[in-house]
Amino acid sequence: MTAFSEPQGKQNLLSRIGVSATVASLIIFVFLPSFFLISFTFTRWPEVYTEVFANPLIGDTNWIEIQKYLGLSLRLAISAVVIDLIFGIPLAYILARKNFWGKGFLEDLITFTLVIPTSGFGFATLITWTSVSGLGALFGKGVVETNYLLPFFNVPFIMLIVHIALTFPYIVKTVKAKLEDMSTLFEQASGTLGASPFTTFRKVLFPLTIPAIFSGAVLAFARSLGETGATLVVASVYTTAPIAVISWVSQFKFGPAAFLGSLLIIVASAIILPVEFALHKKGISTFSIFSKLNLEKKLLKVEDFASRKLSRLRDGVVILFIIIVVVVPIIVVLNSVVLTWNGDPITDNIRDGVVYQLFGPSNYFSALLDATLISFSSAGIATFIAACIAIPTVFLIERYRFGRLLRAILRIPLIVPTSALGLSILLLWGPGGMRLAEPGIWLIILTHIVFSVPVIVEPMLATFEGSEIPLYEGASRTLGANAYNTIESVALPLLKRGILTGVILSFTRSLGETGATFLVMGSNTTIPPLVVNMVESLAIPAALFASTYLIAISFVLLMVFRKVTSR
Amino acid sequence: MPEVKLKNVVKTFDKGRITAVDHVNLQVQDKEYLTLLGPSGCGKTTTLRMIAGLELPDEGEISIGKRLVSKLPPEYRDIGYVFQEYALFPHMDVWNNVTYGPRVKGWEEEKSDRIGREMLELVRLFERTDAYPSELSGGMRQRVALARALSSGSKLLLLDEPLGALDAKIRTDLRYEIRKLVKDLQLTAIHVTHDQAEAMAISDRIAVMRKGKILQVGTPQELYLNPKHIFVANFIGESDFLEGYVTDSFEHKLTVELRGGLSVKSLNNDHKIGDKVVVAIRPEVLSITKGKKSGLNALPGNIEGFRFEGNIVRYEIRLENDDLIVVVRPALTGEWLNVGEKITVAFPIEKSFVFSYPERGLRTELALE
Repeated sequence: MTAFSEPQGKQNLLSRIGVSATVASLIIFVFLPSFFLISFTFTRWPEVYTEVFANPLIGDTNWIEIQKYLGLSLRLAISAVVIDLIFGIPLAYILARKNFWGKGFLEDLITFTLVIPTSGFGFATLITWTSVSGLGALFGKGVVETNYLLPFFNVPFIMLIVHIALTFPYIVKTVKAKLEDMSTLFEQASGTLGASPFTTFRKVLFPLTIPAIFSGAVLAFARSLGETGATLVVASVYTTAPIAVISWVSQFKFGPAAFLGSLLIIVASAIILPVEFALHKKGISTFSIFSKLNLEKKLLKVEDFASRKLSRLRDGVVILFIIIVVVVPIIVVLNSVVLTWNGDPITDNIRDGVVYQLFGPSNYFSALLDATLISFSSAGIATFIAACIAIPTVFLIERYRFGRLLRAILRIPLIVPTSALGLSILLLWGPGGMRLAEPGIWLIILTHIVFSVPVIVEPMLATFEGSEIPLYEGASRTLGANAYNTIESVALPLLKRGILTGVILSFTRSLGETGATFLVMGSNTTIPPLVVNMVESLAIPAALFASTYLIAISFVLLMVFRKVTSR
Repeated sequence: MPEVKLKNVVKTFDKGRITAVDHVNLQVQDKEYLTLLGPSGCGKTTTLRMIAGLELPDEGEISIGKRLVSKLPPEYRDIGYVFQEYALFPHMDVWNNVTYGPRVKGWEEEKSDRIGREMLELVRLFERTDAYPSELSGGMRQRVALARALSSGSKLLLLDEPLGALDAKIRTDLRYEIRKLVKDLQLTAIHVTHDQAEAMAISDRIAVMRKGKILQVGTPQELYLNPKHIFVANFIGESDFLEGYVTDSFEHKLTVELRGGLSVKSLNNDHKIGDKVVVAIRPEVLSITKGKKSGLNALPGNIEGFRFEGNIVRYEIRLENDDLIVVVRPALTGEWLNVGEKITVAFPIEKSFVFSYPERGLRTELALE
């Protein structure tokens, strides 16, 4: 009896230490920073209230502005998600169900906008739409003014375009994955019963993919609500909520910044979490409103016609969409770099050339090199530490009863807008709080760990649940391996792909992060804020070069991502 | 009205590396119940899917009734199709599944409802209209799938292993139910299965397929009593095979010399003296007598194995020339022979078939894959 129970006791102790350490680091590094801003706002409520609602000098101006900024952010996020759905769902369908030449390339393009640091992409979109080097070359002037406000949606046009480009991949990827998992049997059955492909989509595929559509929309919405890097570049006279947080912090107005940041977190959670929880049911049943309105018959005719005549048109429109929002900006940037390499193509002024700006007095090249070093080292260290926390976390989620709860809470750092997160870190660990670190690389790392942990956990969980690990672990235990040997020799190797995917996603996200980094970086500028600074100081050729540089880095990351995720 | 015709239909997969269906010709009559029977991978399901339009043929023509449908998508073919895994829409209840066809065809609501009710009554599931597929048993799901396929009003019913996922007992019950339904509604049915007993029980005619080709089409009786191909002789029912050479041919009879000096007589069909042949005999036509006897087609041996299978007993018999054959006798006599006993088996001359020895060897020719 003792011979058996003694190692058991030792293992229990070890596993208790492991569990406690993991939970403790999750709380300290991930959950605390996510929620600290809200508690800060509450504990300092009298000060915050005075600043926001009853400033002795400006009264409630800050409150009015907060409403304005938050309104713009919400309108922008909702409009972007609506348009994402219109183009994203057909795109997901085409990618999941059809084979055609160039499909792999199309998929790469979609992944590309997920990995590219957004400030670089924002700049590419900006010149594409507003300058003569972009689409404007066709008209002799920019297609739109930078501050053009789109009617009906009531959001700045450029901002909307950028947000669409950066968020539609979330919908495409989740819906495509769901469709690929789903047997084509239901479509075939529907076809044999006389339904056209469009009718089949409305009555069978759409209801069954509703959960995936919602979770894709939630991710896209969260991304749009928190997006900072590209938005700063194209902002012109407009201010979204995350940008307002950054500018207030830079003016040391912590009161309104903290209040707006908390509002962002609360709004994001209030919209996203209920959807997440309501989702995990089977698809919704068919809509009966059409038959009630007697539209059903007309609809069936239209769908029959569309299935026969319009499916090519649909494919064409969707491809055109990708070309306009993703491909053209990349081409425009590359083309502009070449044209302005030695000087302005029109005035021939070498001061407006890429070479002069990089190596001339402003010496942007060395700034870019420094930023690269800081970006890569902070992304590398943050990802490493996050992986160390994420791997045991996955086992906690799968093994313990509180795992489900843990998993739910881990969604929150993913949806907290990063500028709010940056402010939270600043006030928690930074000079305003525990003085753990001054603004600089260590504070950047602490910030990036917060969202990197859930980014790594998600693909690992997906791998875990798809690979029957408990079965193999059971086999390993019956062959005499103890729990720790089993994890090391069976579970971790099986999880390798999930870990790698998570690590790469976390690294790219960290590399491209702008909103939070702006607030915590001090003088240790990373690449994305550097691009924003270049645009703001109107060093356009330098920004062109930096964007090209980011596109090149993203391309390499994309190749690595592809290598890791392909079977 | 719906005759189905396949003319030289070819289907390849994997860029032509796998030929699933190889120049198939088939004619299914109106109101006929035809079964495509064959081992897995023989191309029977692919053939059915091409008739439905779920696959398009590389070559050849398919027509339903007077319409050439080779390139038409399934929704324009006016068919009913029962999938092996049923493919009931998981997000719709029984009622919505069954009335799906009428609704997507834009029929009047009254008509859709009437057909839905009729079909559900037909399969005796009217009281379960609110249930979702996940709440039904396998047999019930099968019946819903059947009702859904029938509700399109089509006179052509295509069934892809419709009973494959069910327990043995339910399977036998349902097969008669399906046949009765098809006959009552005067439908044309094409049924795919790998179960020869099911095919025999349910079909007007059976098309036996192997490696993408149809080997023989005929009524169950024809296939059993007069197999034209050695594979059919083995796949429909069972057969013992004896290898030998033709040593004599006289009028319609020929003598085949087996190894070890044994010989048998059989009816001739175009074999010449010197030909290497295989004589096939059904295990149930062989008689057994105790002791070593001589006579026409009498083959002495001893009993090496014995198995009781309920209604029948099965003897494994080692002939004197070392060939191993199986004999099946009805079990009800209760007087069974013992292992080791010396016996003689015999068969009537007209109850055996002679085939040329297959070029690629007997084993390869009988192999299921």
